Amino acid sequence: MKLVMKGVVGLLVPTAVALAGCARVEPWDRDVLARPDMQIVADPVEAAADEHIYFSKEASSGGQGFGGGGCGCN
Amino acid sequence: MQLKNRRNAALREIGTPLAAATCALLGQSAPGVVQAQELMPWDIDTSMLIYSESDGRVQDLSLNLWGRKELREDKFLGLTLAIDSLTGASPSGAMPANVVQTFTSPSGNSQYTVAPGEQALDTSFLDTRTALSASWEMPVARLGLLSVGANLSDEFDYTSTGVNARYARDFNNRNTTLSFGLALANDTVSPVGGSPIPFSPMLGLGDLRNKDGDQSKDVTDFLIGVSQVLNRHTIIQINYSLSQADGYLTDPYKLLSVVDPVTGNPVGGPPGSGRFGYLFESRPDTRDKQSVYALLKRNVGGDVLEVSYRYMTDDWDIDSHTIEARYRFNFGASRYLQPHVRFYQQSAANFYTTVLFAGAALPAYATADHRLGEFDGLTLGLKYGQETSRGSEWSARIEYYTQSGNASPGAAVGALANLDLYPDLNALIAQFSYKFGKR
Repeated sequence: MKLVMKGVVGLLVPTAVALAGCARVEPWDRDVLARPDMQIVADPVEAAADEHIYFSKEASSGGQGFGGGGCGCN
Repeated sequence: MQLKNRRNAALREIGTPLAAATCALLGQSAPGVVQAQELMPWDIDTSMLIYSESDGRVQDLSLNLWGRKELREDKFLGLTLAIDSLTGASPSGAMPANVVQTFTSPSGNSQYTVAPGEQALDTSFLDTRTALSASWEMPVARLGLLSVGANLSDEFDYTSTGVNARYARDFNNRNTTLSFGLALANDTVSPVGGSPIPFSPMLGLGDLRNKDGDQSKDVTDFLIGVSQVLNRHTIIQINYSLSQADGYLTDPYKLLSVVDPVTGNPVGGPPGSGRFGYLFESRPDTRDKQSVYALLKRNVGGDVLEVSYRYMTDDWDIDSHTIEARYRFNFGASRYLQPHVRFYQQSAANFYTTVLFAGAALPAYATADHRLGEFDGLTLGLKYGQETSRGSEWSARIEYYTQSGNASPGAAVGALANLDLYPDLNALIAQFSYKFGKR
């Protein structure tokens, strides 16, 4: 668990610090990013279906969200 | 008059991006029309999905409903419902042989045979799954968003209940979002005929001495992530997740063939059973998985490029890499075409084996479930979507998914060397979705 926490801190903190230095996009310049097709999960139904399929056919799951599951298929 | 018209047109031009920007500011996707002081109506997506594997393997018909409604200002209720109807045949884990093989079905009440050289498929596979989830999303102070949810899923032989919470907070003038998530689930498996005692042999018809009662497991998922606006056209997301499972992680329907270490032929099973030697699999009762996921989404001249990578590793020694890309060609504002490609590769669990050898000591754990073996997966897909005149949207996608493993691994001795121990999996996925408009 300690190792895991080290991994989290080691990975995310530098990332967050590096990202915080990125160019800022002001709210009035968000027209493109606000488009439905630019949302991180643009189609939740398709995303859930894929998560369910790959959870039942592969040894990996999750990543984007929680690991799917709740199913006897794996 | 002319001046007034021109002014109105100019206001309309400003209005659309302004509304979009306001939504971005609120952390919501842009609706077609923004009405001040009014709660947003229901967002409803529906879909029908067909998943069909070749060679008479698993077939799934899935109906899905997804809804989201603003019940109070900036507070949303989310509901999902999924119904899956599964039929077909599922690989049992037993290896093909040069003779006819007879298996007792999980219930113990019937049997099925597999022809020489054929993959051992359990044809008694049949299930219906109903899954429900509800969530409540609300702002916390000016920059935070909290979402809590519960989910329930029920199958003939499996029940899962879970709760989850996610908190996201914006920083850096809302260019950076940090999120934390926690999910807890408790699953109960009630296998048809009982859960087999690990490494117990398959018995003859009506003999349930190797079966036990219900089993359960607990799963804890933890997720921490950051999303960042890079510029006006690009956003990225990086997540780290940890999943810990504790309890019964064995698949109660999976078998291992016991073969002669020289000839590779199946050996005899328990006296009087009329079966060859097949043992029920055994897996460890804990599993820790970790994954790192990175996504980049970019507007390319009105089109959208999405690329993601996931690395997963667990304490069963499985490592996997997933690379996925989508490119959405937008034709005007109302039609799009989206090709999709996904590459997947995983290494085998340290207790994965194709067969067990007669006379050898049993390992601590063993499985011949292909999903814990080494294989590559490839998905190719195409999706088309169109907005209707009433602001609804329909889309259809078709995808081809294939898995190929090492057909003749090192454990293939004697007769096994000439048999396909890891047949490819080929599946077709077809989905039709309809998103109801708000006009």
